[in-house]
Amino acid sequence: MKEVVLECYGEACPIPLVKAQKKIEELDAGDILIVQIDHSCAMKNLPEWARKDGHNVEVDEIDDGEWEVIIEKVV
Amino acid sequence: MSEEVKSENKIKRSASSRTRTRKPKRSQIPIGIAVLLIVIAIGVLLTIKSVNLGIFWFIGIIFGFILQRSRFCFTAALRDPSLTGGTSLTKAVLLAFAITSIGFTAIKYGAFIKGLPIPGQGFIAPVSFGTVIGAFMFGIGMVIAGGCASGTLMRVGEGFTMLMITLLFFIVGSLLGAYNYGWWKLNVILKGEPIFLPDIFGWAGAIILQLLFIGVLYLAADKWEKRKNNIK
Repeated sequence: MKEVVLECYGEACPIPLVKAQKKIEELDAGDILIVQIDHSCAMKNLPEWARKDGHNVEVDEIDDGEWEVIIEKVV
Repeated sequence: MSEEVKSENKIKRSASSRTRTRKPKRSQIPIGIAVLLIVIAIGVLLTIKSVNLGIFWFIGIIFGFILQRSRFCFTAALRDPSLTGGTSLTKAVLLAFAITSIGFTAIKYGAFIKGLPIPGQGFIAPVSFGTVIGAFMFGIGMVIAGGCASGTLMRVGEGFTMLMITLLFFIVGSLLGAYNYGWWKLNVILKGEPIFLPDIFGWAGAIILQLLFIGVLYLAADKWEKRKNNIK
């Protein structure tokens, strides 16, 4: 089981989303992708996409205006 | 948010990544109260100077607050259907259009039956090829820049640095547009015809037609989302 951190600080949407979509393709089921973002808009579309894609998603506000979206690849 | 975390708090991460960045968070409530007081103070000062200025100030602040908190985004409304297959914002924008259509019709019709001049008629611009060119340029620009006009302003206020560059070039672009507007108006825009739907379909016909059109788009967005995500 791998754990990959994808740092997307300072990047506006949809860049974090596109990067996460590309990264998750490289991972195997059970791997964890942690996307670090500070863009409130990505906070909405990242979890929305990941849940629809069928992954487990958890959002963690690590600081004011900084989040980690933790995605566990399921399929 | 908290319920979301609770229900899905089952992803096991390595301990190192969990503790790494955690800092104690400072309460923002005192700053919030201070900012609110400053906003009200400026609002009162502006109202003393001119009531309109005061109204603009408060409406602007409320607008920005709702945009930020709701993460309402016109860019995402048009971009997400193809990027993620999600149409929740598309549907939100369509709903907003439906509500404003009813509201504007009420305001305009209210003035019309009282025999008053209908407000806002000066903003009915001709539909021309300029609409197509402008929409295409704006659409490409907002997706690359990460925000439409209101979204850019909201994110600058939120403190997102990259959008400050967007704001700079948003101003440059607006100035260029204003500078060249005469040419566009003469050669493109005036070749079109201004259309006010109630003139053609009547007041009831116009609002019914517009709501029907929005309804069809809403259903299409809903179907698109289900198809894109293979929801049975």
